[in-house]
Amino acid sequence: MIRFEEVTKIYPPSTVGLEKVSLHIEKGEFVFLVGPSGSGKSTFIRLLIRELEPDRGRVSVGGRDLSTLRRWKVPYLRRNIGCVFQDFKLLPNKTAFENVMYALVVTGNASSTSKKKASEMLSLVGLAQKAKNYPNQLSGGEQQRVSIARAFVNHPPLLIADEPTGNLDPETSLGIMQLLYRINKTGTTVVMATHDREMVDRMRRRVVQLEGGKVIRDQKRGGYGED
Amino acid sequence: MGKISFFFKEAFGSLRRNYFMTIAALVTVFLSIVVLGLVLVFVFTTNELLGDVEKKVQINVFFKTDPDPTPDQMTALETEIGSWTDQVESVTFISKEEGLEEMRETYKDRPEIFENLTRNPLPNKLVVALVDPLLVDAVADLIRQQDPELKVLDEVNFGEDTAEKLFTITGQMRNVMVGFIALLGIVAILLISNTIRLSIFARKREVEIMKLVGATNWFIRWPFVIEGVTVGLVGAAAAAATVLVVNSYSVGKLRDLMPFLEIPLGAVPSTLVILVLLGVGVFIGALGSAIGLRRLLKV
Repeated sequence: MIRFEEVTKIYPPSTVGLEKVSLHIEKGEFVFLVGPSGSGKSTFIRLLIRELEPDRGRVSVGGRDLSTLRRWKVPYLRRNIGCVFQDFKLLPNKTAFENVMYALVVTGNASSTSKKKASEMLSLVGLAQKAKNYPNQLSGGEQQRVSIARAFVNHPPLLIADEPTGNLDPETSLGIMQLLYRINKTGTTVVMATHDREMVDRMRRRVVQLEGGKVIRDQKRGGYGED
Repeated sequence: MGKISFFFKEAFGSLRRNYFMTIAALVTVFLSIVVLGLVLVFVFTTNELLGDVEKKVQINVFFKTDPDPTPDQMTALETEIGSWTDQVESVTFISKEEGLEEMRETYKDRPEIFENLTRNPLPNKLVVALVDPLLVDAVADLIRQQDPELKVLDEVNFGEDTAEKLFTITGQMRNVMVGFIALLGIVAILLISNTIRLSIFARKREVEIMKLVGATNWFIRWPFVIEGVTVGLVGAAAAAATVLVVNSYSVGKLRDLMPFLEIPLGAVPSTLVILVLLGVGVFIGALGSAIGLRRLLKV
C-alpha cells in the first residue's frame, strides 16, 4: 500500500525532515507513527498526500510512484486518501452534513445516492441527530467524528490521521480510536501519527517510531515506548 | 443538484457571508468604473466638440474677377470637385451676387460700407466642405492643379495656419485622453484585484481544506470567479447608471453655462458606454479573482 524507499526530505536551509527512511506498509494494516515533535511524523504524512515532494528517494502509494504523478492528478490521489487532522479542518460555514457531502461533491458526485451515503456515514459516526449543526455548534469530539465521516465517505483504501486525538480528552479519544479501528476492519489501511501513549499501548498495533527524521523502531505489536 | 448550481450556490453563499468584503469590493469597483465612465463621457463629448470645430475647416475657391469666367467653366470645376466623393463632402457655388447679399446681411448695422459701391467687387466662389478635415492640404493642392496657369482661378485658400494649429491641438488632446483612460484602467484593475485578493486570503484555510479533500483547482476556482464576476457586474451596472445620469444632467447645465461652446447633446453613445463599462467590470472581476487565487492554488 505504502512504500518509502530511502526517502530524504530537507527543509531549507538544513532542517532534516526525514533521512533515508525506508518503510513498507501493507494493505489493511493499522500503523502508529510515534515520536516527539519534529521527529518527522508530519513530514511523513505530507509526503504521502504529496503536499511535499522528497529531495531523494521514492514514495509510492497504492503502487503509484508519486514522483511521476502529474500535478493536475494530485487531487485524484487525494480522493483515495482520507485525511483526519488534529484541528479537524472542517469548513466553518457548512453544516456537518454539508461538510461530509463536500468530499463527494468535489468528485462530481452530488446525486441523491451520494446524499444518502453522506447521511449514512454521519449515522455511522453517531451524529445523525446533529447533521444540521455547524462546526461551532459541535464539541471537539463531534467535530472529529464529522471529519472522520468526511475522510471515509468515499471509502478510500487509505486513511491518514495526524494526531486525531491531540485536542480531545481521553474518553472522547477512545471513541475516536474505536471509529478508526472499525474503519480499519473494513480493509482500509490506517496510518495514525500520535502522541497518545496510552492509546498506543492499549491498541497493540504496529508501531513505527521516528526520531530526528529516522526510523528508530518498527515493531509488529508495539507500545508507545520500548518495552 | 448539478455542479453548476453548486458553484453558484457556493459563490452567492460566500458573497453573503463575507458581506463586508463584498461591500468593499463593490465600492472599489463602483468608484473605479464611475471615474472611468466619466472620462469616457468627457472623451466622447470633447471629441464631438473637436470634430465640430474641425468641420468648420473648409476651402474657399475664388474665381478670377475681371473678367469673370464663363458659367460653363465654373460649373465644370464645380462638377469636377464634386466628383471627388472620397475627399469632398459638398461643393457649394456662391455667386458674386449671393456673396454680396451675405455681406450685406453680416454688416446690416453699417449700411455706409455699401453706399459708394458702384459695382460688385466680389469674386464668384466655391465653398468646399471636406470628408476628412485633415486632408485639407492635399485637396487644396488638387484644386490648384485643375488650373495650374490660373486662367479661371484666382486663389484657393483655407486659412492654412489656423487649420494646422487646430489639428495639432486636437490631436494632442486626443492622445492625452487615450493615455488617461489607459492609466485609469490599470489603476482600477490593481485596486480591484487587490481587494479581491484580500478577501481570498481571508479564506486561505477554506481553500486548503478544499484541496485536502481532493478538489481540482478548477473546482475551487469557479465559485471565486463567479463571485468576482458578480461583484464586477453589479458594481459596473451601478457605475454605468450613475455615469449616464450625471452625463445628461451636467450636459444640460454646461449648455446653459457656456452657450458659446455648443456642447453636443447626443455625443455619448449610451449603449456603447454601458457595454464597455459592464465589460470592464466583468473582466476586472474575473481577472482579480484569478490573480488572487493564483498563489493559493500552488502546492
